[in-house]
Amino acid sequence: MEKIKQNAFVKKVGFNRIILVAVMLLMYLAFGAMTGGKFFTVSRLMNIFNYVYFLGFLALGVTFVIATGGIDFSIGPVMFCCALVSGYSFYNHGVPMGLALVLCILVGLLFGVWNGYLVAYVKIPPFIVSMASMNMAKGIAAVFTKTQSVSWPQSSEPAGWYRTFVKSGSFPTGIVLFLAVAVICAIILNKTKAGRYILCLGSNSEAVRLSGVDVKKWTMLAYTICGILVGIAAIFYVGAYTTVQPGYGDQYNNEAIACCVMGGTSMAGGIASIAGTVIGTLIISLLQQGILALGFSKDYQFIITGFIVIGAVYADVSARRRKN
Amino acid sequence: MGDVILTMKGIDKSFPGVHALDHVDLEIRKGEVLALMGENGAGKSTLMKILTGVYSKDSGTITYEGKEVEFKNTREAQDAGVVIVHQELNMLGHLTVAQNLFIGREFKNGIKIDDKKMIEESKKLFDRLNVDIDPTEIMSNLTVGKQQMCEIAKAVSFDAKVIVFDEPSAALTESEIEEMFKIIRDLKKKDIAMVYISHRMDEIKVITDRVTVMRDGTYVGTLITKDCTKEDIINMMVGRVIYEDPKTHSMVPADAPVVLKVENLNAGKMVQNVSFELRKGEILGFSGLMGAGRTETARALFGADPKESGDIYINGKKVDINSPQDAVNAGIGYLSEDRKRYGIVVQKTVAENTTMATMHEFMSGLFINKKKEKEVAQKHVDALATKTPGVDQLVVNLSGGNQQKVVIAKWLTRNSDILIFDEPTRGIDVGAKNEIYKLMNKLAAEGKSIIMISSEMTEILRMSDRIVVMCEGKKTGEIDISEATQENIMNLATREIN
Repeated sequence: MEKIKQNAFVKKVGFNRIILVAVMLLMYLAFGAMTGGKFFTVSRLMNIFNYVYFLGFLALGVTFVIATGGIDFSIGPVMFCCALVSGYSFYNHGVPMGLALVLCILVGLLFGVWNGYLVAYVKIPPFIVSMASMNMAKGIAAVFTKTQSVSWPQSSEPAGWYRTFVKSGSFPTGIVLFLAVAVICAIILNKTKAGRYILCLGSNSEAVRLSGVDVKKWTMLAYTICGILVGIAAIFYVGAYTTVQPGYGDQYNNEAIACCVMGGTSMAGGIASIAGTVIGTLIISLLQQGILALGFSKDYQFIITGFIVIGAVYADVSARRRKN
Repeated sequence: MGDVILTMKGIDKSFPGVHALDHVDLEIRKGEVLALMGENGAGKSTLMKILTGVYSKDSGTITYEGKEVEFKNTREAQDAGVVIVHQELNMLGHLTVAQNLFIGREFKNGIKIDDKKMIEESKKLFDRLNVDIDPTEIMSNLTVGKQQMCEIAKAVSFDAKVIVFDEPSAALTESEIEEMFKIIRDLKKKDIAMVYISHRMDEIKVITDRVTVMRDGTYVGTLITKDCTKEDIINMMVGRVIYEDPKTHSMVPADAPVVLKVENLNAGKMVQNVSFELRKGEILGFSGLMGAGRTETARALFGADPKESGDIYINGKKVDINSPQDAVNAGIGYLSEDRKRYGIVVQKTVAENTTMATMHEFMSGLFINKKKEKEVAQKHVDALATKTPGVDQLVVNLSGGNQQKVVIAKWLTRNSDILIFDEPTRGIDVGAKNEIYKLMNKLAAEGKSIIMISSEMTEILRMSDRIVVMCEGKKTGEIDISEATQENIMNLATREIN
């Protein structure tokens, strides 16, 4: 075992990540076997991808926030708020599709700035801020749409071009875009000043502040990046499913956070892995589709996701304790 | 002298990067006061923390009252009668004295807490110790000295058979120390064994029976106090280390310009109207008792805590410092006494910590130039002789002395001209200590100006060109090194209180 861990390739890629990929493949095969091969169809794969897109963008976003040692429980409802506000504007206020998509990201951005400002400058704990934002997002969406659900245009309609972000003909464009954004996120986190300071302040914000760094600015930036990615997630959500309803979205908070912690991002802050988040997203999406394919209701998935969050955080905490 | 009550044998303990204790022995007898001496970082506190269950040992045995024991936590140690009186007071300021004394083991009347009984018991305890404290008083209203008495009373109330005093006098005035000694003598008569950790040689001679000396995590030897001289003890403590010669006069040229001038700095109770000047190439020592407001002054000056008023001039020009950012931009660097909390990011590498304050110089467009970053970090590792397997090493794996060097490298990279060293050698092992001293002298000789806050009298006298003394948030005096003695510094350090 130790020998494997010391192998140069294993060290570079990370032992835990290899295990995660193995778990993912095993899960895929297991679900395939249990459903008598039905799981291996192209349409099922597309379903999994659809789930990966929006969940993946949410998870990428919240990775930045968790890296600072914070948390954001508003991402799911904010995503719905983005999709509802912009979709409603498209139908009822004559906003062209292109602008609606910009509006969608803008709403996410504004929530990110708002959360980030309150956490960094007003010093309200992230937990409280995001809980409040979660309800505000639901409220704003409901008031704006007069509690009506919004169905975005179908692919056949002229304004349906936005769906090519998800699927162009039978080609899953979404997976390419998702991976591209993930690479950009990884570059931001690992190669830029912003990423460096976000990780450092997540590990010890006081030491970073006393080094003369504007800790507030960088904290707020992390939440802002998260907000933008939540806006993008909203586009991919409607791109895959078209219909959004006010008052929902909570369940995706837990799932997105599960993707992060499973991928090795530490809830204590300071340690984050974009590659890990991507793999985590694939596993959670597989799980979701697998459970549905086996004929269980989505409620079972909530239970399992809950256990995954606790298990992953426990593993992180106990690894930390062993180190000390 | 009584029978042996407690023996520690072959105690070994390692932390990441440090072999803190290397097979240390200790023996304590009933009714004696054993001094445990050693420089900062010699391993005294670690050893006592192992004894009282704060840390677990890697190997070795502890025999207490004839039986081998291993306390898993402080609670177990307390129940067995082994307690520690900490240097930092562990009291809850908003509770009463009585509530503090019995916290976690309150007397109950049904499900109600029986405050009356707790007050009664506290009174009895204080009577027994002959101290005059009102158990119904709110803890934070007491002086630091009285709070220390409460800590001792609390220790005694556990039916302690062994009491460890970890630098109990660091915050006390002469008269308070005298009062504490009375209690200790009283406890001796009751056959209680005590370990007394202190850096003050005079106290050791007065109150202790034997002296055990540690150095560099090892046991050096034990002497009978009345048969040995101060020099004997110092020689054992210092051992092979040859320190920089203490300064007899200021090294600063008479015409050196004033680089930093602080006028009437105010920041809460701990910083009241503090004014001083720092000259180019000077090491300005800040001396005083624990809680004198030295760290608070430094933090207010650095913008780490808000200040109420006060003017700061750098090279004759008035500067506005409202945040650490302002201070760093003005050329000030701060090296905290608590490196792990305020100095380094332990989960990051040596290189990343080195460039923390200077990121903007390591950018190629949008991206960090990691190659340049590593080169500069390596340069500082070589120049400061930092012991690390490489600049990619996580700082958590370095010893205290080497972590301190990484923090120094951070400010050197930033090219800060004014460096505030807050307890520069706390938690640093003896060998590395002199390296830090040499480095500070070198920096000063190169024209950097240094403010050095230190609670160690020897360090103050060894390093400073001039000494500012503080007491209870006020500056009580300033002494040139050529006139400085332990006595005149102590007089100033306790002036406000007496």
